[in-house]
Amino acid sequence: MTEQKSNKKTEEQNKNIKIVKDATCTFCGCVCDDMELHVDLDEKRIIKAKNACVLGRAWFAEHTIEDAPAALIDGKEVSVEEAVEEAAQTLVKAKFPITYGLSDTTSEAQKQAVAITDYIKGNIDTTTSVCHGPSGLAFQGVGESTSTLGEVKNRADLVIYWGGNPAESHPRHFGRYAVTPKGMFTPNGKKDRTIVLVDVRKTKSAGVADILIRPKPGKDFEVLWALRALVKGISISTDIEKETGVPLEVLTDLVERMKNCRFGVLFFGMGLTMTRGRHFNSGALLALATDLNEYTHFVAKPVRGHGNVTGADNVVSWQTGYPFGVNFSRGYPRFNPGEFTTVDTLSNGDADAAMIIASDPGSNFPKKAIEHLKNIPVVVLDTKSTDTTKLAHVAFKTATYGINTGGTVYRMDDVSIPLRPAFESPFPDDETILKAIKKRVHELILKKNDSRGASGEAKVAAAVNPL
Amino acid sequence: MPLHLKLHTQPEVPLEADCICPDKIQSLKGSEISSMIVFHGNRQVKLGEFFDCKGEFDGEIIIDGDLNNVKHVGASMTFGKIIIEGNIGLHTGAAMQGGEIIIEGNAADWLAAEMQGGKITVKGNAGHMTGSGYRGSTVGMQGGEIFIHGNVKNETGHVMRRGLIVVGGDSGDFTGVNMIAGTIIVLGNMGIRTGAGMRRGSIICFNEAEILPTFTRNCVYKPSFIKFYINYLEKNGFSIDSSYTNGTFERWSGDSIELNRGEVLLSQYKNK
Repeated sequence: MTEQKSNKKTEEQNKNIKIVKDATCTFCGCVCDDMELHVDLDEKRIIKAKNACVLGRAWFAEHTIEDAPAALIDGKEVSVEEAVEEAAQTLVKAKFPITYGLSDTTSEAQKQAVAITDYIKGNIDTTTSVCHGPSGLAFQGVGESTSTLGEVKNRADLVIYWGGNPAESHPRHFGRYAVTPKGMFTPNGKKDRTIVLVDVRKTKSAGVADILIRPKPGKDFEVLWALRALVKGISISTDIEKETGVPLEVLTDLVERMKNCRFGVLFFGMGLTMTRGRHFNSGALLALATDLNEYTHFVAKPVRGHGNVTGADNVVSWQTGYPFGVNFSRGYPRFNPGEFTTVDTLSNGDADAAMIIASDPGSNFPKKAIEHLKNIPVVVLDTKSTDTTKLAHVAFKTATYGINTGGTVYRMDDVSIPLRPAFESPFPDDETILKAIKKRVHELILKKNDSRGASGEAKVAAAVNPL
Repeated sequence: MPLHLKLHTQPEVPLEADCICPDKIQSLKGSEISSMIVFHGNRQVKLGEFFDCKGEFDGEIIIDGDLNNVKHVGASMTFGKIIIEGNIGLHTGAAMQGGEIIIEGNAADWLAAEMQGGKITVKGNAGHMTGSGYRGSTVGMQGGEIFIHGNVKNETGHVMRRGLIVVGGDSGDFTGVNMIAGTIIVLGNMGIRTGAGMRRGSIICFNEAEILPTFTRNCVYKPSFIKFYINYLEKNGFSIDSSYTNGTFERWSGDSIELNRGEVLLSQYKNK
């Protein structure tokens, strides 16, 4: 065994290995930035990801350099320049072009995508609309009492997870931020905290919970509403157990714990946001956190999935004023989830062209939406071959963010974190492709708006050069 | 003779036709009406590219054709009458202040959103958010009347402040959610979480319904005003069993999380 280990060590020493310290994992919304990556520069792959969880290790191991064309039009290999031209022409011709995805790319690329959508008077939406979109609506309607994960680590003595299973979806959330880490005011780690898990199922996360509450499926809203009433001192009938599956004593005990903790936090997942009631479920939880601030410090945070989905919300918000489901067809941004969200624009047959960035709606959208996607020209930017790239009119293969390219991403608590790439990719990154498409789209629009021959062309050149 | 608009070309992408509004048409002649601007996706085109315009506007507009993809008809209108001879798309009568819209078919989502006055009658069904506020708005419908003979979907009367919504069929979840005041009458069944967060106002249902734990049962009584409402609804084309007129209703008050001054009345007449 010892001999085997030493052989492996010698083998590693003989290779051209680069070590990248404090690298960032962009697999999930935890965006852990304490990775130590061992990169085999000859084979261009990460052979070891120290500190990574099981999901992070798989993320780093799977992203190698594939032998594939950088750009395709209708499945045929073309140059990147030709593909950029075709993508720009497609988007400019469309009457209702949509941009979707953005949660697995850098904020710099997201910014370019918003600019393109603005130029083409299209519709921009992110994967938020199919995960924590309801929370976005609830923030707007109810407000959000919030904090960073650092504050949670240092201060929280009551941690409640609602409708999520971080043990399997965000494995380091417990160890790095909320359950076991020793903080400034929680020096004994888990011993200083009470962990509550509210879920309809007993998941792997139940192992860390001091209190497990299992409401009947689809009754989260009623439980949250009852908790709000109890926090406000309003009596609730014992019939609540019959309706929700949770005894009144359990709710009363939880309310006492919530009111008497020093710093409480409610983390919520898609078990809450994507069940019947959606944004009202999220709204009820956010309102509960707000109510509790009459007694103590209490915050609520959604546990976000994709590596930079929080960045997508931030970038689209700072550029348009709204986080997702934004339409520019009248020349100014309009926000209306249910009308301008991608599932709706595709299912209703509204969109006549699409640009999908770092997302795979072709594999996970409703059948009606996928059918419509097959009938319109689609431009796709992705690091891998997916169901969506297979139906693309124009497909770009791009470098992986965080592994091959630098940039900025946002952790689930809206803290921006820089990326440290491990090795170079022969493929361009999303930002480079989107910048090129933006430049060409701008040229085409200026040409269309000023068709006065040579002088028009000169104006175009002058206007485009600053880009 | 009313102005008759007939859809001759189906829009490929949504058509935003908020120019189909008596306020904007009243001073225009035939060719000028055809030249009014509509948004076909991101393109500004003339109304005449999609509609044949016949007749003169005398206070009434009749629209004909499959209008599922036509949005914002009658938005912000203050007077006159629009008759829609089939189904109609999103935002019909949004922010309407006066006049009347009659829809012979079905209406899509956000019908009469943030309506302030006037009357809308839908002979078929309506979608989500009927008479509600837009996302982020703290106030929805502020006046007027909406009569829907069929069913409606979720969030009917969301943040409603004044006015009357009548649903002849069933309503979806969260009917009257966060309601500030006003009246909603549902002759069929209601979905779950009715009146969640309501402050004042009345939600009257002619069937049993699930009530949230934050509502309190007050009494069973015969509200005298019900017979006046029933008379009014019959005048507006609803047929209601005469037994309801003197029937008893169970009164629930809520939502105790908010002001607790709203009421939900549930008919106890079981022989339906």
